[in-house]
Amino acid sequence: MKYHLITLGCQMNLSDSERVSAVLEGMGYIRTEIEEEANLLGILACSVRQKPIDKIYNKIAQWNRWKNNRNLLTFVSGCILPADKEKFLKTFDLIFQMSELAQLPDMIREYGIVTPAGLKQPKPVMPKNEHITELWHIKPKYQSTYEAFVPIQNGCDKFCTFCAVPYTRGREVSRPSSEILDEVRHLVDQGYKSITLLGQNVNSYGLDKDGEEINFAELLRQIGEFGKTSGQEFWVYFTSPHPQDMNREVIEVIASYACLAKQIHLPMQSGDERVLIKMNRQHSMDKYRRIVSDIRELIPQATLFTDIIVGFTNEGEAEFQNTVEAMKEFRFNMAYIAMYSPRPGAASYRWENEVATDDKKDRLHRLSEVMKTHSLRYNESLVGKTIRVLINGSDRKTGFSTGLTEGKLIVRLDRRDDTLMGKIVDVTITSAADFSMSGELHEVHIGQSQ
Amino acid sequence: MEINDYSNYPGIASRMSFIKDDKKIDESFYKIIEIRQLTDETFSLKLPKARFQFKAGQHISLRIHGNHQSREYSVYSGTNDEYLEVLVKEVENGYFTPRLRKLKAGDLVEVHGPFGRFGIGPKAAETGKFVFIASGTGIAPFRSMIRSYPGLDYTLIHGVRKSTEAYDKDEYAADRYVLCTSKDAGGNYQGRLTGYLKNCTFAKETQFYLCGNSNMIFDAIEVLKEKGFERDQIHCEVYF
Repeated sequence: MKYHLITLGCQMNLSDSERVSAVLEGMGYIRTEIEEEANLLGILACSVRQKPIDKIYNKIAQWNRWKNNRNLLTFVSGCILPADKEKFLKTFDLIFQMSELAQLPDMIREYGIVTPAGLKQPKPVMPKNEHITELWHIKPKYQSTYEAFVPIQNGCDKFCTFCAVPYTRGREVSRPSSEILDEVRHLVDQGYKSITLLGQNVNSYGLDKDGEEINFAELLRQIGEFGKTSGQEFWVYFTSPHPQDMNREVIEVIASYACLAKQIHLPMQSGDERVLIKMNRQHSMDKYRRIVSDIRELIPQATLFTDIIVGFTNEGEAEFQNTVEAMKEFRFNMAYIAMYSPRPGAASYRWENEVATDDKKDRLHRLSEVMKTHSLRYNESLVGKTIRVLINGSDRKTGFSTGLTEGKLIVRLDRRDDTLMGKIVDVTITSAADFSMSGELHEVHIGQSQ
Repeated sequence: MEINDYSNYPGIASRMSFIKDDKKIDESFYKIIEIRQLTDETFSLKLPKARFQFKAGQHISLRIHGNHQSREYSVYSGTNDEYLEVLVKEVENGYFTPRLRKLKAGDLVEVHGPFGRFGIGPKAAETGKFVFIASGTGIAPFRSMIRSYPGLDYTLIHGVRKSTEAYDKDEYAADRYVLCTSKDAGGNYQGRLTGYLKNCTFAKETQFYLCGNSNMIFDAIEVLKEKGFERDQIHCEVYF
């Protein structure tokens, strides 16, 4: 019995997909990347943009046509808006929330599908608890041997007006810190080099527990303490934080421990106060500026990434110029710039989408040009320096390898060596481009401590 | 999973057992106790508080039974009240509020939350000086705070179009409540509340809480910054 799983959207869905795989493979299913040979077809949906939702409608139409010729079971989970959910109920065989993943084997068995696990003595019925903590008890099947995602929090209470996540993932729930620390320790013991703590608002971690759980700074501190004694070199990242809950203490902790990566992704969304209020971002530019100032003071070597939306409702040229000025001021290494598109379910969907598409494209282009000048300048400052790079890719055709610095900047190496995949190595940077650098690999001794 | 009548959908019989067995579903549904009409357009919904715990200033998400859309509303009642209440203004040609208005006592609504951190802590409530600035139904979280913390040192500045929109104004001490009306002369100040703010003086240590539409909030922030108050002293909750 084979299953095929399509994962759309963010790292949170990628992380969830590792747990879905673990459950299905625990039932005896074998993963296949070929849809046509699978008996079980599933999708983890993303509702942030319309394109992935359109893809789901196309896929299920195709899969339901295949049902004329063979037995198939289809499911969908992930971030689904209520309106889409109603339609999916009519087209997919199974639809469930991630918090119900532990019940997936029972749902499949109710369809009468015989699996190797199904032939064994039935297990005691899982408690029917829709709480997300059920999901976190499932040990994931990691898709990489050196890079892993560790969910620490799920859901969002922020209600940004452009976003529908609070309606698809529900309210913020923190995972117990003991489970997070166990998973991080396990990963490091297995030799993982890049570990990303995941959540919709990671730095709101613990706040939903009213003092009965440690906060985000303390969670990082405990990971840092473990890193100090582990004897291993590894980098811990987190995404995404919200500026509202970012504070100096978190930055001080990152500065204090080598294993806490010196890369911070801090979504700004807009550089204009009025637009930020309209977006219900719950932080001011003063607050954002203070956080960046703390980062520059305490971790001067840190790279800074951000997310920006251009063309949001009411963003005129003057408001956009404030974002341009903010881009110049904060000198981001990377900005994921998106043109605003109204999402059903989000508050802003009810407002007029008043910025013309051509204007959005123009603003995206202009902002990208500003970003390039800063990222290029930063990359050029590294030329001639030797830095640690995690090798994470190779290109068979060109003979190049690729890697990421601790600051998540891309480095290309003019040599391909598969034995280095997933290793952190010394690289001397030889040249710089807008969004990447080239470098020469230092001699690596096999068996060298990583 | 949401409670819906899925029985007409083909091929989902196996899922029904999971829906039925899920006790959590019942905890989200509340029967309306009472609907209080405050003006022609504005009314409040009273719901049983039962298991619901919240902090004054927080909001909830409301969904009408059988409808997949939801909206957020600040809690209008105090933490010590025996019921949960929200304040709703019907939006002309809107989707949600006209449907809410058609509900009657005994109808079901789905409640999720509470959400948000707009509010004041119990310690600060004992010692702090607060100015609450609200437009329209943005008064809701402030009524909740005032009812939850007896003895609170506050001034409530409420901006509305007409004096009939001074919802439950008799509950507030006369010397703590300022009604700004832009379309009639029935308030304490005729004009926009930002106009009133410009002429006010406040103690340096005052904490400002703003709730209402985004334009009012932006303009009020500008006025307060001009008066020399730090942005950290200004807390906002935007209504949409």
